[in-house]
Amino acid sequence: MTTFDTGERRRSSDARPVIAELMDDATVQAIAEEAWTALVGEDELLLPMPGELPADVLSAWVDVVGPWTGSVVLTTGAQTAAELTRTLLAETAPPLLDHEDVADAFGEIANVVGGNVKASLPGPSALSLPEVGNAPAVRNPADLLRVDVLWRGQPLSISVQGALPPLPVQ
Amino acid sequence: MKILVADDSRVMRQIVIRTLRQAGYDDHDIVEAEDGADALAKVSSEQPDLVLSDWNMPNMTGFECLEALRSSGQQVPFGFVTSEGSPEMREKAANAGALFLIAKPFNEDTFKEHLDGVIA
Repeated sequence: MTTFDTGERRRSSDARPVIAELMDDATVQAIAEEAWTALVGEDELLLPMPGELPADVLSAWVDVVGPWTGSVVLTTGAQTAAELTRTLLAETAPPLLDHEDVADAFGEIANVVGGNVKASLPGPSALSLPEVGNAPAVRNPADLLRVDVLWRGQPLSISVQGALPPLPVQ
Repeated sequence: MKILVADDSRVMRQIVIRTLRQAGYDDHDIVEAEDGADALAKVSSEQPDLVLSDWNMPNMTGFECLEALRSSGQQVPFGFVTSEGSPEMREKAANAGALFLIAKPFNEDTFKEHLDGVIA
């Protein structure tokens, strides 16, 4: 029987896309801006400018599992995360915020940004519940998009990072 | 009219309630639920006229809550307010009996567009 090399196996082994093949920085920036305007406030701008994150940072992220698998991670200074929380809670903000308030608010922003990133990626994929703490490690630097912005003059980074290690080089 | 707002995020429940007010639906009773299981129980105990529910929640998702309601014959009007608005999820929601799916982020205009006609 004659067999043909259809390239099927080669293509399937090469099939795992990295994030830069699926979306670009401008899309991530636009998703974050829309989330900010709707959730944080109409006049709240995210300026696309890098800033140096302070030593005391907090991250909030959701995981996407599907044809592309990874995390959408927001990282900012702990003080900025608290300010975001107060802004979101508005008149219902307690005099003294606790970690649960910040985890809830910052996590929900990550959930909205992550949900919209997921919607821009090929599916079907699943979205995790948000987590808040120390960001998951970047497993594959080639599978990473990072957008740095300033909110109220404070730095914040949004990274869309693959959770899987690089494929072995043939 | 009584509206049940189900979301595991307290902040998001506040934002949904604030947006309802901004959209002009400010004279309704609001009941909150913190996950799908809580929403299911409160549909029974509070008898809301409308449920606005997140999809992805711990314990019981909003989708599982809707399925449980419909399989028990409970026909309360039900809409999703969720961060995921893919065509597949919209179709799944509609097939399960949801009236609409509002994707986060939203504003008062999005609420008016979906809720006018549902909220008298």
